Amino acid sequence: MSIHTNWLGEFFKHSLLLAGAVVVLLPFYLMLSYSLKSPSEIETNTGGFFGAQQIMTDNRCVKAGNPEENCLMRPIVYNYTAAFKEAPLVRYMLNGVFVTVSIFLIQVIIALPCAYALSKLRFWGRNVVFGMVIFCLLIPVHAIALPLYIMLAKVGLTNTYAALIVPWSISVFGIFLMRQFFMTVPDDLIDAARMDGMSEFSIVWQVMLPTAIPALLAFGIFSVVAHWNDYYWPRVVITGNKDLMTPPLGLRMFKSDMDGNEYGPMMAATTVIVLPLVIVFLLAQRRFIEGITMTGMK
Amino acid sequence: MGRSKAHYWFVGPAIFLMLLLLIAPVFVAAALSMTDYSLGNSGFNWIGWENYEKLFSRRSYSKMFTASLTYVLLVVPISVALGLGSALLISSLRIGGELYKAIFFLPVMATLLAMAIVWEFALNPIVGVVNDILRSGCDKSAIYALLSGSWLGYDPLDSWYGSACEQKFPLWLGDRQYALGTIAFIGIWQAFGFNMVLYLAGLTSVPRELYQAAQMDGADSAWERFKLVTWPMLGPTHVFVITISSIRSFQVFDTVEALTEGGPSKSTYVMVYAMFEKGVRQNLLGMGSAITIVFLIFVLILTLVQVYFVNRKVHY
Repeated sequence: MSIHTNWLGEFFKHSLLLAGAVVVLLPFYLMLSYSLKSPSEIETNTGGFFGAQQIMTDNRCVKAGNPEENCLMRPIVYNYTAAFKEAPLVRYMLNGVFVTVSIFLIQVIIALPCAYALSKLRFWGRNVVFGMVIFCLLIPVHAIALPLYIMLAKVGLTNTYAALIVPWSISVFGIFLMRQFFMTVPDDLIDAARMDGMSEFSIVWQVMLPTAIPALLAFGIFSVVAHWNDYYWPRVVITGNKDLMTPPLGLRMFKSDMDGNEYGPMMAATTVIVLPLVIVFLLAQRRFIEGITMTGMK
Repeated sequence: MGRSKAHYWFVGPAIFLMLLLLIAPVFVAAALSMTDYSLGNSGFNWIGWENYEKLFSRRSYSKMFTASLTYVLLVVPISVALGLGSALLISSLRIGGELYKAIFFLPVMATLLAMAIVWEFALNPIVGVVNDILRSGCDKSAIYALLSGSWLGYDPLDSWYGSACEQKFPLWLGDRQYALGTIAFIGIWQAFGFNMVLYLAGLTSVPRELYQAAQMDGADSAWERFKLVTWPMLGPTHVFVITISSIRSFQVFDTVEALTEGGPSKSTYVMVYAMFEKGVRQNLLGMGSAITIVFLIFVLILTLVQVYFVNRKVHY
C-alpha cells in the first residue's frame, strides 16, 4: 500500500497483532506444555513450559502389581506412554488415514469423468445434469445426516468403514471445481488426443488428469482436512466400536473414559492427533491456505 | 463428439450418487418430519404437522432457536470484524505479515474437537489458566485499577472485574449465563483466521490506482481512504464472508457436544446438536427430521441472500 507508515504506527500494529497471536496460540501452547508436565504441576500451574521433569510414580502401574521401582518415570514419558496405552491412538490414526484417503480417491474417480463430460462433451441433458450439481451444492451436509443415518441403519451398515466413507463418495463441489478448471483447457488438446485414437476413457485419465493436478491438489487438501477433522458424521454412525473410530471421535471417547484429572495423558493424545496436520500445514502453508479458501464455499 | 456413448459412463455414477446420497435424503427428511418414526419400530404413524407444532410451541425448542441465533449473532459480527481488522493490519505491515497469517490460520486447520478439549482445560474454574491469570491480576494494583475502572474514579466493586475479584470468577462452561458466550468465543477463535484470508484475497484485488486517485481528491488520512476505497471495493468479499460465516456458525456442533452437551439448562442447545440428540440419541427421528428441515430452510435462505447480492455485484 502506498500509505506512508512511520515507525510508531508499525510498532502499534505489531503490538495489536502480537496480542492476537498470543490468544490464538494459547491453547496450542497449553496442549504441548500439559503433555509434558506432571499432574501436580498441571494442577498448580507451575513448572513453566517443560515442567521440572522430576521422576514420578505411575500409580496405575503400581496397582497392576509391579514393584514400585519399575514404575518410576519422567512425566513426559508417563504422559505419552499412558496416552498410547489407554487409547488405541495408532489405530485411530490409521483409521483416519484410511478413511480420508479412500474418500478423496473415490471422490476423484467419480468427479473427474463427470466434470470432463460436463465441460467437454456435448450430449442431451448436459445442462440438466449441471443444474443438478448446482442444486446439490446448496444442500448442507448436516441437513442430510439423519436420513443418511437411517438409510445406513436400514441396510445394516452403521458401525462399518463403509458408513464413514460412502456418504462422501460424491463431492458435487469437486465436480463443480473440476468443471470450471476443465473449461479453461483448450479443445485442441482433446481433439489431438482423439486423432491419435485415444478412447474417451483414456483421455480422462491420461490427458485431463495430468492437466488438473493443481486443481486436484487444492481439492485434495480441502477434502483431507475436512474429513480428518470431521467429528459430526463419525459421531453419528460409529457407536462404541473403537476399532472404527477416527482421531477426533477416539479423542472424545478418551475424554469420557478418563477418570478424573488425567490431564497429562489426555493432552499427550490431543497433541498426537493435532500435530500431523499442523506440521504439514506449516510446511506447505501457501498451498493449504489456497486450497482451503479457494474451496471454502462448502 | 456425441458419436460415443462414453458420457453415460462418465455422468451416470455421479447422477446416481447425487440422487441417492444428496437429493433423496432431503425428501426422506421432509417425509419423516411428518411421522413419529423410530429405528427398530416396524411401522410409523403419519402425524401431520405435529412435530412442527411442538417445535414452535415448546419451551425447550424456543431455547434451541435462541441459542442458535445468539451464537450466530455473536460469532458472525465479531469474527468478520476481527478477520477484516487483522487482514488490514497484516496487509499494511512492512515485515512479518506472513508469520501472523500462518498463526491466525492455525485454528482453522487444527482439529476443532481436540482444541475444544484444550480450551475446556484452560477454562476450568479451579485449575484452568484463564481464571488463574485473571485472579493473579487482582493483587496487582495497577492491573486491578485498570480493569475494574477505579482509575477513572468508579467504584471497583461495580465493575465486572472488581466484583469477580471480591467474590469469584465465572465457571464459564458450567454457568448458564456464560456458557453460550464461551462456546461462541471458541467459535470466533477458530473462524476469524478463515475470514482474514478471504479478506486478504479481497484486498489484493483492490486496484492501487484507486488509492492514488483518492489521495489526489484530498483523502489524506488512512481512515478516509479506507472509507472511500477499501470498504466499498470489498463489497463482494463482505457478502461472501458474512454468508459463509453465518452458514458455518449455524452448523456448530463439535464444541457443544464435547463441552456442554447443550447445557447448562439448555443455554447451549443449538440446532445441529438438538438434531443429533433427538434423532440419534433419543431415536425420535420424526422430531429430528423436523429440526433438520427447519435448519435446511435457514441455510437455504442464507444462501439465496448471498446469490442475490452476488448477482447484483454489490459495490454499494
